[in-house]
Amino acid sequence: MQIHELVGAVHEAAWLPWAVQYFFLIALSATALLMALPGLALGRVAALPRARLALMVAVTTGITAPIALLADLHQPGRFWEFFLYTNSSSWMAWGAWFVPSYVGLTVAFAWAVHRPGLYALGQEDWRFNWLFRWLSLGGASNGFARPLGIAAGAAALLVLIYTGAEVYVVRARPLWNTPFLPLQFAATGFVGALGLMLVLERVLCREPALEARLNRALAAALGVVAVLGAAWFALALSGLSPRHSEALASVAGFPVWQKIALWGAVSVAVPFVLALVSPSRTGWVTGLIAIHAAWMFRWTVFMGGQAVPKVGSGLYDALLPAGLDGLMGVIGTFGLWLFLLIAYTTFIPWTEASAPADGAAPARPATSH
Amino acid sequence: MDTNRRGFLGAMGRVTIGAAASMAGAGQSAQAATDQPHIPHWGMVVDLRKCIGCQACTVACIMENDVPEDSFRTHVSVYEVLKEGGDPAMVMLPRLCNHCDDPPCVPVCPVEATFKLETGEVVVDNTKCVGCAYCVQACPYDARFINHETQTADKCTFCFHRTSAGLLPACVETCVGGARNFGDLNDPESEVSRMLRENEVSVLRPEMHTNPNVYYIGLDAVLDGRVAGEAAYRPPLTVEPEPHGLAAEPQPHGEDA
Repeated sequence: MQIHELVGAVHEAAWLPWAVQYFFLIALSATALLMALPGLALGRVAALPRARLALMVAVTTGITAPIALLADLHQPGRFWEFFLYTNSSSWMAWGAWFVPSYVGLTVAFAWAVHRPGLYALGQEDWRFNWLFRWLSLGGASNGFARPLGIAAGAAALLVLIYTGAEVYVVRARPLWNTPFLPLQFAATGFVGALGLMLVLERVLCREPALEARLNRALAAALGVVAVLGAAWFALALSGLSPRHSEALASVAGFPVWQKIALWGAVSVAVPFVLALVSPSRTGWVTGLIAIHAAWMFRWTVFMGGQAVPKVGSGLYDALLPAGLDGLMGVIGTFGLWLFLLIAYTTFIPWTEASAPADGAAPARPATSH
Repeated sequence: MDTNRRGFLGAMGRVTIGAAASMAGAGQSAQAATDQPHIPHWGMVVDLRKCIGCQACTVACIMENDVPEDSFRTHVSVYEVLKEGGDPAMVMLPRLCNHCDDPPCVPVCPVEATFKLETGEVVVDNTKCVGCAYCVQACPYDARFINHETQTADKCTFCFHRTSAGLLPACVETCVGGARNFGDLNDPESEVSRMLRENEVSVLRPEMHTNPNVYYIGLDAVLDGRVAGEAAYRPPLTVEPEPHGLAAEPQPHGEDA
C-alpha cells in the first residue's frame, strides 16, 4: 500500500529553544550540586577542588535556568498562577515548587559555604569592604551550611525526577515516552556538568591533577550514558519494550535521524576515549565535547521530538527552526550565564571555600583574597 | 434533533425560525419539566463517505473563531491511497479536537486552565492559561496550538458559543456534503446516537485510550494513527539529494497540496 499526503497541516514547535536551554542548564546545575556535596557539605577534603568548581557551576547555571524557563512561557507575566492554581496531577506544577526551592537552597548553601571568606574580606581595609560586610551579613559562622547543602541535594534530586518525569509522561510523543529518558537526562546532566567543570578548570585553575580527576569522572559518566543508550536501542530493536520500539520506529526511517544517532554516538565515544587515554592533557577537548553532547541530547529530544508529527506524515520543521528568534534563546541564556560566572569569580572568594566545621564557629580562619 | 446543515435547512421548512434556533437545546427543554435536567454530551460523527475535501469547514472555523494565520482548529487532511491491485483513491479525513472523555491535555495543565465541561467539551480559559504549551505536547491528535495573538493555548471548542445559543458548530453548519454531524450522545433519539447504532464507527488513535467523542464512519485503519506515507510538506533537513546530485525541491511552508 502507498499513501501520499496531499493536504496536511504543519505544526510548529510549541516548546522553543528556551526550553532546551532550561532543561540543559537545570540538569547541569542539579548534577553539579550533587557533586559539590562530598567536598563542601560532607567534609571530604580530597574532593574540595572539584567541589568548588561544581558549586560554581551549580549556582551560575541554577540561576540562569529558571529565567530560560520563564522565557519559554508564552505568558511569562502570569507565572504567579503556578503558585496560586497548582494542579497536583501535573509534573510541571510540582516543578514550579521544586525549582525555586532548589535554586533558593543552592544559593543559600553557596552563601553559607563562602560566608567566612566574605566576612574576612569585609574586615580588611580596602575600598569595597562595606560590600563584603553586607554580603556576609556581619558574621562568619556557617555551621548551618551542612543541613542547607543536604536540603539542596534533596531538592536537586527532586528537580532531576520532575524534569525527567515531566517529559516522560507525554504519551503523545513516542520519543519522549520511554522509561529510560529520566535516567538519560540525569546521566547526560552529569556529563555536561563535568564538561563545564573541565573547561572552567582549564580557564581558572590549570591543575593537571584536578583535570585528570575530572576527566576520569567524565569517562565514568559517559560510560553510563553509553550503557543507557545501548540498552535503549537493545530494548527497541528486540521488541522487549513496546514504548522503546515505538520511539525508534517514529524516527528510524529518516536519514537525518540516522545521522543524529551517529553524531550522538561519536560525541560520547570520542571524549570517553580521550579522557581515559590522556586524562591530564585533554580537558579542553573532552570538556567542550561533553558540554556539546549534553546540549545536543536535549536539542534532539525536544526539538527533534516535536518535529515528529502525531498524526500526519513525514517530519515538521522543528528540528532546525529558521531565523534569529530561536537562536536568541540560546545566545541570550549563555550570555546571562557568562555574566553570572564573571560576577561569581569576581565577588566570591570561591578558591577558599571548604566544608563548615561542626558547631557555630567559623569553619576555618579566613584568609585574604 | 437535526445535526447537520442539510437537516437544519429541512427543519427550517417545517418549524418556525425561533424553534429551529433553539434546536440544540430542544432536549433540555423537553427535560425541563422533569426533576432531573437532561445534560447533553456533545459529540460528532463524521461520515467520511460524504466528505469531499472542500475545506469549507476549515474556512468556516477560521472565520467564526478568528483563528490566526498558519493555525487550524480543524482542517481536512487529504490522502491518495493506493492499495495492491487497486486504483488510487482520494481519502478525506477531517481533523479536530476529539473532546476526549479522558483527555491527556487536562491533567498536565499546571494551572488548571484547561478543563472538561459538564456537556463534554474540552475548553481553555485563556484568561488563566500561562502559555506553557504542555497541553499542546500532551494532545495525541495535534489538535492544540499556541495562538500567537493571545499567546495562550487554543483549540476547537465545538463552537461552544454557538451551541450555547442553540446553533450548530460552524464546521457542521457549513459542511457541504453533510459529512459532519453534531449532537447529543446522551440522547438515544438524537441523529448522532442513531448513526452510532446503525454504522460501524471508529476513532482516531484508539491505542491512546482517550475515549474520543469524534467518531468516523468509513475510516481506513491505515489512517487512524500517524499516517505512514509520503508527506505533503518536507522540510529541508529531510530532503535527500537526488541521484544526479540536485536536492528535491522543498514544498512551500504551511498547508499545501
